[in-house]
Amino acid sequence: MANQGSLIALILLSCLVAICYGTVSFSSLQRTLIVTGSPQTGQVLKGGVDKITVTWSYNTSFPAGTDSSYKKVKIMLCYAPISQEERAWRKTEDHLNKDKTCQHKILTTPYKPSNNTLTWTVEKDIPTATYFIRAYVLDSHDKELTYGQTTNTEKTANLFDVLAVSGRHLSLDIASVCFSAFSVVSLFVFFFLEKRKAKSQTK
Amino acid sequence: MADINGREQQQSFEIISIPPQTIPSDPTKFDLPVDSEHRAKTLKIFSFAQPHMRSFHLAWLSFFTCLISTFAAAPLVPVIRDNLNLTRSDVGNAGVASVSGSIFSRLVMGVICDLVGPRYGCAFVNLLAAPVVFSVAFVSSAEGYIAVRFMIGVSLATFVSCQYWTSIMFTSSIIGTVNAVAAGWGDMGGGVTQLLMPFLYHVIKVSGATPFTAWRIAFMIPGWLHLIVGVMVLTLGQDLPDGNLGALQKRGDVAKDKFSKVISDLVFKYAVRNYRTWVFFLVYGFSMGVQLCINNVISEYFYDRFGLTLHTAGIVAATFGMANFAARPLGGYASDMAARKFGMRGRLWVLWTVQTLGGVFCIWLGRANSLPIAILSMILFSIGAQSACGATYGIIPFVSRRSLGIISGLTGAGGNFGGGLTQLVFFSNTGFSAATGLTYMGIMTVACTIPVAFIHFPQWGSMFFPASKNGKYSEESYYSSEWNEHEKEKGLHHGSLKFAENSRSERGKRREIAAAGTPPPGFSATPVHV
Repeated sequence: MANQGSLIALILLSCLVAICYGTVSFSSLQRTLIVTGSPQTGQVLKGGVDKITVTWSYNTSFPAGTDSSYKKVKIMLCYAPISQEERAWRKTEDHLNKDKTCQHKILTTPYKPSNNTLTWTVEKDIPTATYFIRAYVLDSHDKELTYGQTTNTEKTANLFDVLAVSGRHLSLDIASVCFSAFSVVSLFVFFFLEKRKAKSQTK
Repeated sequence: MADINGREQQQSFEIISIPPQTIPSDPTKFDLPVDSEHRAKTLKIFSFAQPHMRSFHLAWLSFFTCLISTFAAAPLVPVIRDNLNLTRSDVGNAGVASVSGSIFSRLVMGVICDLVGPRYGCAFVNLLAAPVVFSVAFVSSAEGYIAVRFMIGVSLATFVSCQYWTSIMFTSSIIGTVNAVAAGWGDMGGGVTQLLMPFLYHVIKVSGATPFTAWRIAFMIPGWLHLIVGVMVLTLGQDLPDGNLGALQKRGDVAKDKFSKVISDLVFKYAVRNYRTWVFFLVYGFSMGVQLCINNVISEYFYDRFGLTLHTAGIVAATFGMANFAARPLGGYASDMAARKFGMRGRLWVLWTVQTLGGVFCIWLGRANSLPIAILSMILFSIGAQSACGATYGIIPFVSRRSLGIISGLTGAGGNFGGGLTQLVFFSNTGFSAATGLTYMGIMTVACTIPVAFIHFPQWGSMFFPASKNGKYSEESYYSSEWNEHEKEKGLHHGSLKFAENSRSERGKRREIAAAGTPPPGFSATPVHV
């Protein structure tokens, strides 16, 4: 009986610990990375065509040794507040596992304090919206430790736009028109054929 | 849907009447046992024989296809909302539009079936829905998206052609079950689409298309389903047990009728002025309407709230719609079982009970914070709401005999109206979350099911009151009150009288024994004001 009790307690405890591991809150993170992106304020990038260059480095004004547990850097494309309006599926939440601000991963790469740069072509599934770039620093358990971003804390500066691909294709348009025509024509053909058959039957 | 009770009613508003002396066909040539109008007396599910079973399968398949394409966008909304830069209200409005289109088209379809037959009504809708579905390739804005979903939603009129077609093909003693099975299997399309579309989208994406193109290509498949089903209905289907409507009308076997008389007599006099029509218009809005709304929002709900993938959210959402396979027939069956013992009062109690339970489980779904509880409450909710739909159509045939088709169509339209209303009020608002919307919708369902208690049949009673004046009113007086003296002199109400006699089973076991001794009042009975 005591054994069962302690087993259940152990399972419960490990579940709670696991939950603790999951919920990192954004407000607890320090901004120890300096991140800059190539797009100018208000620049419109075309999906599938234009490129972004991102550079990031550790902010040396922080005490030395702070970055000893930094293992990886995850760079994400994040929605600016204007693109989050009326779109609850992009809402910012403090708990990072519920946060939907950054939904598009650009790259995950090992951490280096300086000389980091990357060039990325805006992918074809990035929606039309206003963005900024954020980089999370992860430890060996993939937990967020700190971050850096191209915009300010209020997310009002250095924002750029992406114009998405429309998803439309000429071949798709042509196929659509052909199939539709076939459908309408077959309705009328059948109608007339049957009227003719009925007429010939009564003659 | 005009009365098809044949030989007694030969007047102008009787659209399809088949005078027996001119039927040349031999009853023994049919695959199933038939009644005097050649309507089948049994339902042989695994048969495709002409004309009855083939028509049954074509009828429910055509309705199924329309449900697939009406809700095809729902599981793909997370992709579409990014492609078209939609806001929450755009998504909600599109959902409202998808179910509003058929409010009017369902009413019109009843008349179309009367005039050109269910085969053409059904094929017409399917072959014209196909181009609309294909036009998804061109959509590039919120307005275009809403417009396309509205036009695809118009195709839900096939519910009426489906029920009309099965009503001509199957005899009235089994028509409740046949209609519930056909409607239930058709409604399943709302669930199947939640599985089918993410699957197609995934396969197309894997084949190399980008997401914003892949969803458009995925829509080609429902478009082709419409085309195939439409052609099948035209080539393989048959309007009536004895042949197609056009041919029978030309031969003089079937009367052709005046459009205006149908509209004025049946619609305005006996459907609109019967208060029960409007109670069912409201009540069906919270069984079928709620289902239509859920078909539109549930996949996105599970995707956003519980962080499931598109594919998994689709599977969960599909279980809601697929429950229709059994839940709706179950509702019809439960209604029939209750009627055996308690008559019409039993039917009303069954309807109120299952629909209220559905509402309660909807409240629970909105408040569920964990995935297993959410899925459990959703399944229970689906069983409640869908069996309520089956139970509703177990009562509708008894509301009016003369205007059955119009009332059936009006109730169906009420379902769509309720669906659009609930989506608009609870899920297009940025003021509260979808979870809160579900809770409020459940509360409104419980509240709007209370009017069932006000449905009173003088000859049978209601939920809380027995038959009026202790059995003074009879079934004959209720149904023959739909005919005026002039029509009764011509004997046009004989079909209603026959129906009235058969409907005595709605008294339930105890009173039926008592009633067996009393003779029917006949034509001299004073019409009861219903």
